[in-house]
Amino acid sequence: MDLISILATVILATTIGTLIVGVGAYAAFKLRDSRKPKAKINDDTSSSSVTKDPIFLKRYIPNIVQKQPSE
Amino acid sequence: MEIKKFSRYIWGFGAALFVIATLSFSFNSARNAKGSFALLLESHFLSAISIYLLFFLVLLVVRYSALILYSFMDHIEGLYKKDIPSATPARDDSSLPMISLVVPAYNEGLVIQAAIRSLLLLDYPNYEIIVIDDGSTDDTYEKALEVVREPHSIPIRVITKSNSGKAEALNTGMTAARGEFVLNMDGDSKLSSNTLRACIPHFDNPKIGAVAGNVKVVNRENIWTNIQALEYVEGLAMARKAQSFMRIVNIIPGPLGMFRKSVLQQVGGYDHDTFAEDCDLTLKLLMSGWQIAYEPTAVAWVETPSRLLDLLKQRYRWTRGILQATSKHSASLWQPRKAGVNCFILWYMLFEGIMWPFSTLLGNIFFAYVAVQYGLSTLLFYWWLQLTMLDVIAAAYCVVIEEEAPSLILYAVLFRLFYINIIDVAKVFATIEEWRGHTMTWGKLDREGKL
Repeated sequence: MDLISILATVILATTIGTLIVGVGAYAAFKLRDSRKPKAKINDDTSSSSVTKDPIFLKRYIPNIVQKQPSE
Repeated sequence: MEIKKFSRYIWGFGAALFVIATLSFSFNSARNAKGSFALLLESHFLSAISIYLLFFLVLLVVRYSALILYSFMDHIEGLYKKDIPSATPARDDSSLPMISLVVPAYNEGLVIQAAIRSLLLLDYPNYEIIVIDDGSTDDTYEKALEVVREPHSIPIRVITKSNSGKAEALNTGMTAARGEFVLNMDGDSKLSSNTLRACIPHFDNPKIGAVAGNVKVVNRENIWTNIQALEYVEGLAMARKAQSFMRIVNIIPGPLGMFRKSVLQQVGGYDHDTFAEDCDLTLKLLMSGWQIAYEPTAVAWVETPSRLLDLLKQRYRWTRGILQATSKHSASLWQPRKAGVNCFILWYMLFEGIMWPFSTLLGNIFFAYVAVQYGLSTLLFYWWLQLTMLDVIAAAYCVVIEEEAPSLILYAVLFRLFYINIIDVAKVFATIEEWRGHTMTWGKLDREGKL
């Protein structure tokens, strides 16, 4: 067996092995992803449809009682 | 320092010799075994796939040659500017514009303090830091506030908001920014101290709307992260450098991108409809006619996934995100006259995102089939060797030009031997899922706090 044949056999084994590992790892990743706890439906922090203003941008309206002229 | 530089040249020269010797050896070997290649022409099926793979190999050689040539030209341009003082006029510190650093953070409690403290050490006289806590469920906000309370001269603001994604957090930062320029980064990355000074001169050119930084891996601790270090240098930095020569960088990386604030406002900031908001924003800038430069000396050190499943999670999101962003701007694919160079960029992204992983996977399966069915494993070996030689040449070039660790050249062999096969499988599945419209989530990576 010459050098090229030995290297070719190594590459063949590695290629087939990594293809199998690749498919297995992808399946494991999808399985792990699907097992993660889902966010609660009513949890407003998980919903992207609700418009959320940053806290610093909330308009500050002072609670001042309008004083009526005494007379 | 000089010894290190010299050793890089020795390694680069050694790699070039290795490639020449291997190609010469394999050429002789292939010539002796030319009878076996005739097998590929025995049926239409084998011939068609062989011709397609040959075409793909030609495209790859053109791609690597063009990237190395253009990135070298960009390197020469950088050296020219550095050597000739008139090319980059000296600036008075008081004349430097204000830069706002926006740091979005979601559950970055482990790394946020180190990230903010590193920002306080940047060499620039006029900047502010804005940390956006995107509704973290850990102690990110409190940890960030602790740093704010420490004595320092740089203004820091920490804004907390309900969780609505990274794009929205960056938009919030853009709204709050007081600077003329905005630097967007990740909460888990660390910037080199020269970042701001290095990026700002690019904006002297009024056509430049943004500058992309250089992203490098900080946690080079195992085989996965070391190969990713090579991937970041060879696959991302070299490509950006080449694209920068034509001012058409196609992805401003999330860990380091500086923008004119007016440009961000003009294009409407980040959109929420893709999982690669950085790629999407870059395409929006390019489509609006802005040029994008790359600054190799502005470095963002990032922590990459050190476990296989985390790595697949990241690549899954990148693949689908880039496809979503490309799909958004797909009208330009068919309008070369109107879109100009942007049409080429989109086709290039499709080549890298779809054609490359599909073709290498097809090649591997095809030649493995030929090896098992006809006992011709040498064909698979030659296929692998050609791809590996391209990687070794690119890695050797990057080690010399990017001043990287010489050991990365050795990782180029491992990269092609097993790493990219596994990644390509994930990319192909991700592409199929995107095409079929499967739902997906952001997929926040767990940090180990290596910064």
